[in-house]
Formats: sequence, C-alpha cells, structure tokens
Amino acid sequence: MKKFFQNIRPLLLLLLLNAIGMLLMYIKGVDTLEDMAILCSAMCLLSIAMYAIITLFSLGDSYLFIIISMLSTVGIIMQSRINQDDGMRQMKLYLVGVAFFFIALFVYKCFHKHFEKFTFFYWGLSMALFAFTAVFGTVRNGAKNWIDLPGLPSIQPSEFIRILFVLSLAAIFTRARSRKKGKYIPYLERKKIKSTRLMFAAGIAFSNALCLFLQREWGIALLFFAIYIAFLYIYGENKLFFAANMVLVIFAAFIGVKFMSHIQVRISAWLDPFNDVDGKGYQIVRSLFAIGEGGFAGTGIGAGSPYLIPVVNSDFIFSAICEEMGVLGGVAILMLYFLLVYRGFKISLSSTNEFNKAVAMGLSVMLGIQTFIIVGGVTKLIPLTGITLPFISFGGSSMITTFIVMGMLQAISSIKGEVTDEIE
Amino acid sequence: MKLNKRIITVMVTVLALFLVLVGYLTYFTVFRAPEIIKSNHNPRIWEREKKILRGTIYDRAGVVLAESKKDGDNQERVYPYGSIYAHTIGYNNRNYGKTNIESQFNDYLMKTPSVIDVLRKDTAEDEGEEDPLTKGANLSLTLDHSMTQLAAQLMGNDHGSVVALNPVTGEVYCLYSSPTFDPNEAKLTENWDELTERSDSPFFPRATQGLYAPGSTFKVVTAAAGIDEGHENFTFNDKGKTTVGGKPFRNAGGKAYGQIDMSDAIRVSSNVFFTQLSQVIGKDALREKAKDFCVMKKVPFDIPTNAADGVFDDIDNAELGSVAIGQGKLRVSPFNMALVASAIANDGVIMRPYMVEEAFFEDGESVYNATPEALSRATSSRAAAMIKEYMVGCVRGGTGTAAKVPGIDVAGKTGTAENERKGKTHAWFIGFAPADNPQLAICVMKEYSGHGGGSVCAPIAAKLIQNALNSGLITR
Repeated sequence: MKKFFQNIRPLLLLLLLNAIGMLLMYIKGVDTLEDMAILCSAMCLLSIAMYAIITLFSLGDSYLFIIISMLSTVGIIMQSRINQDDGMRQMKLYLVGVAFFFIALFVYKCFHKHFEKFTFFYWGLSMALFAFTAVFGTVRNGAKNWIDLPGLPSIQPSEFIRILFVLSLAAIFTRARSRKKGKYIPYLERKKIKSTRLMFAAGIAFSNALCLFLQREWGIALLFFAIYIAFLYIYGENKLFFAANMVLVIFAAFIGVKFMSHIQVRISAWLDPFNDVDGKGYQIVRSLFAIGEGGFAGTGIGAGSPYLIPVVNSDFIFSAICEEMGVLGGVAILMLYFLLVYRGFKISLSSTNEFNKAVAMGLSVMLGIQTFIIVGGVTKLIPLTGITLPFISFGGSSMITTFIVMGMLQAISSIKGEVTDEIE
Repeated sequence: MKLNKRIITVMVTVLALFLVLVGYLTYFTVFRAPEIIKSNHNPRIWEREKKILRGTIYDRAGVVLAESKKDGDNQERVYPYGSIYAHTIGYNNRNYGKTNIESQFNDYLMKTPSVIDVLRKDTAEDEGEEDPLTKGANLSLTLDHSMTQLAAQLMGNDHGSVVALNPVTGEVYCLYSSPTFDPNEAKLTENWDELTERSDSPFFPRATQGLYAPGSTFKVVTAAAGIDEGHENFTFNDKGKTTVGGKPFRNAGGKAYGQIDMSDAIRVSSNVFFTQLSQVIGKDALREKAKDFCVMKKVPFDIPTNAADGVFDDIDNAELGSVAIGQGKLRVSPFNMALVASAIANDGVIMRPYMVEEAFFEDGESVYNATPEALSRATSSRAAAMIKEYMVGCVRGGTGTAAKVPGIDVAGKTGTAENERKGKTHAWFIGFAPADNPQLAICVMKEYSGHGGGSVCAPIAAKLIQNALNSGLITR
C-alpha cells in the first residue's frame, strides 16, 4: 500500500480535473446532472483502479497511466461538450481502450522475447491490410482508407499498421546484429550493419509509404518517414545511406508537391488560407478564428462556438480546446504530451533489451510526431494533413491503437534486467 | 553508451518540436490573432452581432445618421440619408464587411455596459425599454448634417471633395466625396457588381485618400516658408514668364504683374513670383515647412487617411520651382489641404482633426470622449497673421472673389492644378471664415473639372459658409 500513496498527488490532480470539467459542463447546461455524475464517477473510479493495479503489482512506470487518463478526460469532456452522444461513446471507447491497454501490457510482457522474430511477418501483414483496404475499403472524405465489416465497427487499418511498422523496423535493426553463432553481440563491438539489412529496412519503409501515398494518408506517410529517419539515425551506422535516404525522402516530397494536385491544394491553403476562405482555406481559417477568439484564457467550457469549426470532433479538436480552454489550456495539453513522450523515451533509455529499447523509441517518436503534425497543422505552423490527436480525437481505431502503444510502453518499462547479463 | 546518446538526440529533437508549438501558439495569440479575428469571414463576429443591437450614430445636433433595426433574430443597418455618409460612416454589411467609422469604432458600437453597472443603477425607471445589456454604445459625431446635405447638393454629379472643420478644435463638420454610393444593405447588394466595376470608383474616399496636385493652393505653404525664413520682403519683377533651373514657368494666361510683393503674389496667384521665391528659400526649408503643414503625412484621424512622401528626394531647382506652386510630383489629399487652411486660421497651429465626439450608452454614461489637441505647429503666428491678410486680399480683390460672403471677411486661396489629363485641370479652393475670428476652415476640390478654382470651387465655399452662418454653426 505504501507504493500506492507514494505518488498519489498527480492522481488527485486528475480527479480534480474530472470534477471541475464535469461541473462546468453541468453549469453550462450542456448535460444533465445524472449523466455527468455517472461519467465523472466512472472516470474517477477507473483511474483509481488502474493506478492501484499498476503501482501495487509493480507494472513499471506509474506516471504513464495518469498522463493518459488526464488526456482522455480532456477528450471526453470536449467530446461531450460538442455532442453529448459522442461524449458517451468516447467514454465507452476509453473503457475498451483500457482493456486493450492491459491486453497489450500482458501479452507483450509475457511474449516480448518472441516479438523480435517476425520481421517480415509484420511487413506482410501490413501489405495484406493495405491490399484488403484497397479492395474492400470504403471511401470517406475522398480517401479509401476505411473498412466496414458487417456486424463490426468500422476500422481504419492505417492506424494499426503504425504499430506493425515500428515492430518491423525495430526487429530488422536489432536482430541484424543480435545473434551470431547463437550469441548476442554487444552493440559497440559490431563494426558495421550488413547493407542487405539496410536495404530491407528501406524496402519496408518505402513500400509502406507508397501504400499510404496511394491511400492519400499524407499525415501518416509523413509520420512513417519520421520514424524511419529516427531509426536510421540511431541504428544505421552508415552516414552515406542516411544521406541517400534523406535525399530520397526530399525527392519524394518534391515529386508529391510538384505533381499531386491534392498536395498542392494543401500547400496553397497553408501559405495563404485567406486567399480562398470559402474553398481550400475554409478548414484552416475556421480553425484560426477559433484559436484567435479563445485568446490566452479561452471563452470557458460551453461558452465557445466549436460547431463553427469543421471536423471538430476529430482532426480539429485542438482548435476547439484552444477556443474554450484558451491557448494556455492548449499549451497545458501539449505539456502533457511532452511529458508522455519524455516518459516513453525514458523507458527506451532505461530498457536493457535492445529490441524493446528500439520499440519504445519508435513508439515514442510516433506519438510525439503525430501530435506535432496535427497540432502544427490546425494552427497553420505546417501544412494541414488529416491525422488524429491521440486520446482526444473521436475515433475507435485511433483510440485503441494508442492504448495498445501505451500498453506496450508500460510492458517495456516493467521488464527489467532480463538480458543485462547477456550483453555485458 | 553511444546508442543511448543517439536516442537522447532524437528525444531532444522531438521534444523541441513541442516547444516550437508552444512558442508558435504564443506568437500567434499575441501578434496574429487580434488581426485575424477581425476578418469579415469570422462567423463569431456575426454570431455576437445577433445578440447585441448595434449602437446608433448621430450627427452633432442629434440627427440619426445610422441605426440598427431588429427584424426577428436579424438586424438591419439603416442609413436614412443614403449615400452622403458612405465615405465617413461607411457600412456594416454581412457580406462585404465594415468600413470607415463602422469598422474603426466597431468595438464601441458593440460595447455593452457591464452587468454590475446596470444592476447598480435604478432599473425600475424605464421598464419595457430595450434591455440596456443588449444595446451597443451610440456615437455622437461632430459632422453637421445640414452642411453635408448642402455640400452633396452643390457638388451634384461633379467628382470631388468638400472638407470643412473647426480650425480651433479640429472638429470636422463636413467630409464629403463625390461620386458616392448607397450603403444600405439592399442597395449595396443590388449594386455591388456595378459599383466595383465603375470606372469612376465610387468606393474611393476622395476627400481623405485621393491624392492630387494641389496647384496654387500650395503657395500658402511656400509663403509661410518664405516668411519663416526671413524673406517676407522678397519682391520680383513679374513679366508673366520666367525660367527656373532651366525650366520655363508662366503665369495663368501669361499675365505680367510688374514689381510685386508676397501680398500681391497671393492675391493674383503669380507663378513667376513663387517659383523665384522657392530658389531663395531652398529645398530643405521648403521640405521642413511642408512637413510642418503635414501635407506629406498620413494624419491620425478616425478613419484612414492617405499621403504621399518622397517629393523632395533628389529634387533639382526646376522641380523645386514646380513644387513651390503645387505642381511637379507633389500630391496632397483635400483633407490635408483643409488642414493647411486651418493652420493659417488658428495662429499657425494644426489641431488634430476628429469626427467622433463621444461614445455613450443609452443611459448617458460616456465611454469615449474626444479632446482637442494640437497636431503640429505649422508656422509662426506672425507668418499666419500675415498670410491671413494676404488671403483676405485674395477674396476681396483677387482670384477668389467668388468666395465673398456678405457681412464677414473670408480668407481664401484658389488653385488650378495641371495634371496628366491635358486641359482637365483640378479646381481647388481653400479658405476660412470669418477672417477676424476663424471658426470654419474649408477645402473644396473638383477633380478634372477643366475650370479654375476661383470660378467653380470658391462659390461652393461661399454657400457653405453662408449656410453655417444661418444655422448658427459659426458667428460673425
């Protein structure tokens, strides 16, 4: 029990956030007291229970789940504020997400030694999912990237492919030098990574990116490139190959900007959205109005006009947060992601298993860059590419994927010193 | 460990991106947002406007010039006098945005009293009235409705501007530009396409933003520079034409006036005298004087103004001669020329012009008050007094006799400015009245009229001054 009370403060903060958010919404007449009470107590109880499980059973990093809960709380509050039904559904998704969190946690914790063996299986599964989407997918917002199966909620395969991508890269870079004559070879002793492995890595990265391009998932394609470049930088051991890849990525981007009208539209909407307020620039201009009207302090929850923002419950949820909670609220949310990404890298740094280290690094980069891409996009810092804001955007696939990612990080943080002696 | 070092590098890079986001959001909120949210496309502006009844705009005597009427959930902005205030009050339109006072004073027109103030006051009195919390502040302008109406009538279909103001306080009585347009919602929507395409640019606020060669009216500034530089006794034998810096200059009609001094030169508007005087004054002194008279300055005002700078850069003697008689590259707005007249009228001091006197809530509580303040010391009060006498002479027995008003002395200076259209000179008149106790400075300008300022502008000034006397706006 001592452990439970050691770091209780952030948990209390979380409960306070819950209570204040729900109270504000009740005052503003967005919701009925009963619904709010159920939502609020469910969130609080769940958070306490999860925190207890993680601390009492020594399941590793005790901050991870608290940060996740805070972000999810903000998500549920914002979703309920925009649409009461969406709020309840987000709540249910959160419960499902928590379930996946623990499934991922235990599966990864128990079987992590086997995960590094399936390099090409991950790639094959990704390609299969892409092909399946291309054939049986449904078109939404001009892109064929959803699968609607009868009797099941619709899913967005590209969300899950992200995890497979990190796993395959981690496996290919760490296994390339892990076993030689049945023995682990310490990282520093290895002179050079085999160039065939590098080529395989490049093949995996570019084949994934190509599929995403074809699906018009520019945001996720960008995310994949960022992860790939991070892996190459850390594990590549070959400056020339790194440079060649950078050139190739820039060339691909150049080709995209030059010849793909869809990308050109986004670039021109980014450079001068006010040039075509009712057309190309519509989304970004509406987003900037919302953030601008909020100012530093915000209008207050329930007092803004989030319904004037397009796609407000998913891609543009950050603009609605800035409008009602202010830019200071938005910055606070960014700081939560900052902490989460920092914890992720810390888990990677303290992990002693090379494969786990690489996986934790890849997942942290993914989380950080994804947040940057969408927040930078809706604030017009970078061109807008549709991608979800982790934990807050409405959407089952995104929610479950992110919780699986967190479960894996939690698992890695709880695995201690198992391979230490083998390396040293 | 080398590996961990690299991971740390990647971590710092990713985390730095978050700090970039935070920095950018702060920058955006501080520097960009205030401008962006004013955009006409911001739907929240119109959401708010539905809830608040926009304030009424009155002239100086309480005549309603603009008011909002409720029509269910919507409001309609009504301008009862149609086109004559389009270039001063502007319009407030859902599709086309806001201009002029409707734009510059939007925050006041939409400002409501604080809840506490309303509760504190006795709410029992006017029950059933408009809820004070949902009515924006009203504006009281310094404009004089009868003078503006007369100015519009006198200008008729001619293109040009009329500016009249109190030289002692800076209150603007009349600011009219022709051609103009009807800012009422239905009319604006109906005529928008035609108005935007018309070659005579009815949307262009000529009085405040039109830049024209001021012609001989600028000789007032040259004369002030001459006196302040100690050349008040300068005389010249005017033979009707002269050469300055290799460039020939002629008087209007080539008339020769013989040996004349500054008083004669202003009365008859001698080009020969002033081009020669400019060579004695020099370009630096004339530039400084032009600056003191604010002719090249965007004067701070309640609506946007315009000015052109750079006239005196790389100027040679011939060009200096041209500028001294209001030609060459010199371009000045009618509004600024009215301020030149007001400087002579007010002992050499230009007062900051203003048009919005007060913003006040329905219950009378004032939230904005204009206070007269000096804008610039244009010339010495001695020079102002001397030039005033010369300008009186110009109206008594010179080029400006058409500006005479029975019973009082009017001071004035005419101008006929050549421009890029051959034979289509701009006609100007600047002046003030009564000369011994100036209460009204005026500038009348007709663009591309082809007539002299003394024949087409001075009579308009006379009628406006007469009207102001009759209405009691000015006294003998």
